Amino acid sequence: MITLKHISKRFDVGDNLVTAIDDISLQINKGEFVVVLGPSGSGKTTMLNVISALDNASDGKVIIDGKDISNGGRKNHFQFRRNTISLIFQTFNLFPALTALENVQFAADMRGLDNSEQIAREMLEAVGLGARVGHFPHELSGGEQQRVAIARALATGNPIILADEPTGELDFKTGVQILQLLMNQAQEGKTVVVVTHNREISRIADRVIELSNGNIVSDGPPESGKADISELQW
Amino acid sequence: MNWRLFWRWAWRDLKRRWLQVAAISIIIAIGTGIYTGLGGEEEFRINSMDASYDGLNMYDIRVDLTDGSYLPHEQVVDALAEIEGIRSLEGRLIVPTQVDASNNGDVILVSGEIVGMDMQDGGLDINQVYINEGRNITEADGGNPAAVLDYKFARYYELEPGDDIHIAGNIQLDFVGSGQTPEYFMIIPESLAFFGEGSFAPIFMPLESVQQITGQAGMINNIVIVTDENADLEAVTQDIEAAFAANFAETGVDIEFKDDNNVRAMLYEDAKADQEIWDLMAFLFLAGAALAVFNLSGRMVQSQRREIGIAMALGVPRHIIALRPLMVGLQIAILGTIFGIFFGFAANTGFTSLIKDLAPLPYWDQTVHYPSLITGTIIGIVMPLVAVMLPTLRAVIVPPIDAIRSGHLVAKQGGLGKWLTYLPIPGKSFLQMPFRNIFRSPWRATFTVLGISVAIALITLFVGFLDSFVATMDEAELAYRHDSPNRFVVTLDNFYPVDSETVTSIGNDALFSNWETQLELGGMLSHNGAEFQSAITLLPMNSDIWTPMLLEGNLSDQMGTIVIADKMAEDLGVTVGDAIILEHPHREGLFSFKLVKSEVEVVGIHNNPLRPLSYMSIASQSMMGVEELTNQVVVVPVPGVSTNTVRSTLFQQAGVGSVTDIAELSNAFDDGLELFKQFLQVIQGVVIFMAFLIAFNATSINVDERVREIATMFAFGLPIRTVTRMQIVENLLIGIAGTIVGVGFGWFILQAMMSTRIEEQLDDLRLIATLQPETLLISLALGILVVGLTPLLSIRKMVRMDIPGALRVME
Ligand SMILES: Nc1ncnc2c1ncn2[C@@H]1O[C@H](COP(=O)(O)OP(=O)(O)OP(=O)(O)O)[C@@H](O)[C@H]1O
Ligand SMILES: [Mg+2]
Repeated sequence: MITLKHISKRFDVGDNLVTAIDDISLQINKGEFVVVLGPSGSGKTTMLNVISALDNASDGKVIIDGKDISNGGRKNHFQFRRNTISLIFQTFNLFPALTALENVQFAADMRGLDNSEQIAREMLEAVGLGARVGHFPHELSGGEQQRVAIARALATGNPIILADEPTGELDFKTGVQILQLLMNQAQEGKTVVVVTHNREISRIADRVIELSNGNIVSDGPPESGKADISELQW
Repeated sequence: MNWRLFWRWAWRDLKRRWLQVAAISIIIAIGTGIYTGLGGEEEFRINSMDASYDGLNMYDIRVDLTDGSYLPHEQVVDALAEIEGIRSLEGRLIVPTQVDASNNGDVILVSGEIVGMDMQDGGLDINQVYINEGRNITEADGGNPAAVLDYKFARYYELEPGDDIHIAGNIQLDFVGSGQTPEYFMIIPESLAFFGEGSFAPIFMPLESVQQITGQAGMINNIVIVTDENADLEAVTQDIEAAFAANFAETGVDIEFKDDNNVRAMLYEDAKADQEIWDLMAFLFLAGAALAVFNLSGRMVQSQRREIGIAMALGVPRHIIALRPLMVGLQIAILGTIFGIFFGFAANTGFTSLIKDLAPLPYWDQTVHYPSLITGTIIGIVMPLVAVMLPTLRAVIVPPIDAIRSGHLVAKQGGLGKWLTYLPIPGKSFLQMPFRNIFRSPWRATFTVLGISVAIALITLFVGFLDSFVATMDEAELAYRHDSPNRFVVTLDNFYPVDSETVTSIGNDALFSNWETQLELGGMLSHNGAEFQSAITLLPMNSDIWTPMLLEGNLSDQMGTIVIADKMAEDLGVTVGDAIILEHPHREGLFSFKLVKSEVEVVGIHNNPLRPLSYMSIASQSMMGVEELTNQVVVVPVPGVSTNTVRSTLFQQAGVGSVTDIAELSNAFDDGLELFKQFLQVIQGVVIFMAFLIAFNATSINVDERVREIATMFAFGLPIRTVTRMQIVENLLIGIAGTIVGVGFGWFILQAMMSTRIEEQLDDLRLIATLQPETLLISLALGILVVGLTPLLSIRKMVRMDIPGALRVME
């Protein structure tokens, strides 16, 4: 489903050349639940940006569902994201002028879904915010905002879900709820990539990719075998 | 305080906002520029007029013998010579005529007036002629047909000294120069109170020459007088009247002071009234600029609020925190001042040259007006500083935690804002977004709407002025034409018996299918202390050529009945059936008239918006002592005869003073309007530009502020096209709201100005406040379009957006 071939991403910052990703190659299959681990600044968000064509790689190829997206035009990128990718941002990026419901509905509308409002209600229900649909982002706590962001991503129903620190602001109980939701998506056949620096989360993954300084330092099933979600604790 | 860091920071702020800063500066500059550039127009014009009137030694008192009267020059001079207070006087002979200035194939046949001036004893002293081209007439020209043409008339038709000029009776003049004299600084045609430089030709000639041409040897009908420095004009007037009563009992006189000269009064009033319009315009532009500046600086400070909060949390003193936003205010102030001086200079040069062109004077004052330059500059500096100061102060007085926390304005609003926020809006969510964006900061949107509404109000106001004048003139034209649009009114150069050869040979010409005679006399109508000038036409009320169209009452054959304009009825406070006093000429001898008062009954009110026009039955001629006399012949040409043919034919006839073609009555007016229209287009251009700048700023700030939201939409795959469309919808909403408010506001000002100022200035007219839908629509469509389409300019900005960067930033 997702194939990266010798991907590098370098940033020019004045005289410095920052290498965020350094020659990464990997393949992620349909229906896989992948956790990307790595310390702050290791290149996790950058990798997601490259996969979602928000950013162009400096070198290498990104092949999604058999199509090389690394050098498609801007128009193709927009279409690709609209129909293939669901993004959950590390920084939420909700629309401050829209209510929780409208934020979620927005994504469904844009995807061209008919019953967008109903989908949005269901999604908010699923993330435990059924009672807060009419609230604006500034009326929600950080964790609630994050859940709206997740509901918004899931509302599109796109086959690839890229989640950047989806549990960063959440307490244990809610965090687990969200992870369960994401795992369900994988079971339905969607490809889910969760970025985190929380090693505990990686225990429930099908596969853990560990980044450090822009390089893959390990790639495989969790060290101690795949755990059940009920075994998690943090 | 680390100043180097501070300056670097301020520099980065400027780099990020330079376009917005520049746009705001230009908006301010337009406002202050109009203020500084036009602030001194009144002074400039009044000084120039003072210089011109003094320079040509305008009369203090002008004595007109009642129409049709002539007196021997010598006797008049002798009779007035001894009056105390008169320093000098000159007799003149002024007669209406027809002027043929046809040149190079162009047929130029217009009404005119020959002013015979006394060139003896060292030349002209009072009401001298300033020469623009060629040479002046001198004593040596006495008896010769040497003539100076009015400069504006010559300029209008591009006539050069030496060109062929003929006057009625086919007399060839020796066109020696073109020039200006005080009474004709502006040409006000009798029929329409507007520009008439192409339709009326004043000609200045030596007195003896005019006496010869008209066969009035030794006679005059007009005297101009300059009094001693401190002379009591009223006393002098009484002495003059006494002298006339004693020496020429049968001849009436009309005495006019310098200040009452209608051209002079109009020029001075115009200067004053125009200044009020400039001031209003400058005020509106400044108001628009102020709104825009407050809007921008409010947003700018708002966007720095978190940083301000953080600085406060770090313990930075408030006055230092305030410095950073104030720097932007300062930048706007400096740029605005520079642009403002430039705009002011441009506006000043533009309008001054327009004035010089419209109403040329011999002498001009300097054009730069320092007081308004200084005030304008101060306003330009203070306005942006205050605009930035207010939101900054508000931002630094809140507790730091509020400043850090409040991500969005919506968090802190009550009342309308709150209500609007929760207002359900139907439709897909991207259709809702523009509404939501407007509603989440209603004050900000209101400022933008107001800024644009000021621009639209300006357009409405000026379009409204134009349309109202046009509507009024159309109404006048309609009234004049009524059921006889093809007729010509031939004004004779004197009174003639209705059956005289002069009259019958005009009417019986084969060119005309129908004709009749009428009388036109000047008079004064009064009632309960109110009194107004009137031009009274005596005509057969059963005429099958033309009778006035009545709004009220009935035409009457009776002597002593009168039909007046509705404006006259209103101003006198009378209606049909009331009796009013008419002061009118009464013929005492062959060439002498006197003014007498009679009571007349108002039997009808006609539809012409020109107040002076009144009509009486021809039966009233016995009241005036002019039985069986006429001074106007109305002719109806047979179909297919051209105006030029009629004019050339009448031109050959003896006794013809002037020919008015009812069908072409509005041409002179249209010529004058053309200039006004061009002027209006410039204003519209400037105003639309200002609306554009305001809209551009609002959009550009929106894009800046919403960069994260836009990046998020891009991340979700929403195309730039759709995002732009959403912005266009938002701008259209603002544009439409601004337009509606602006039209209402402009219409209100228009009505207010019509009913007060214009009514005073052009009190001879019933002005009809009108907005032509078509002309207005064009401006409005332009306004809405410009505002609506500004987001297109942000496309580049969005294409080049660093999406991951925008998404990454934690607010
Ligand atoms: N636009 C940019 N310009 C310069 N450097 C950048 C840019 N974007 C990312 N970097 C650098 O690339 C590296 C990787 O950044 P990235 O955001 O991918 O890290 P991350 O693994 O997501 O970290 P975190 O867990 O803190 O979110 C960092 O060192 C960062 O400074
Ligand atoms: Mg990251």
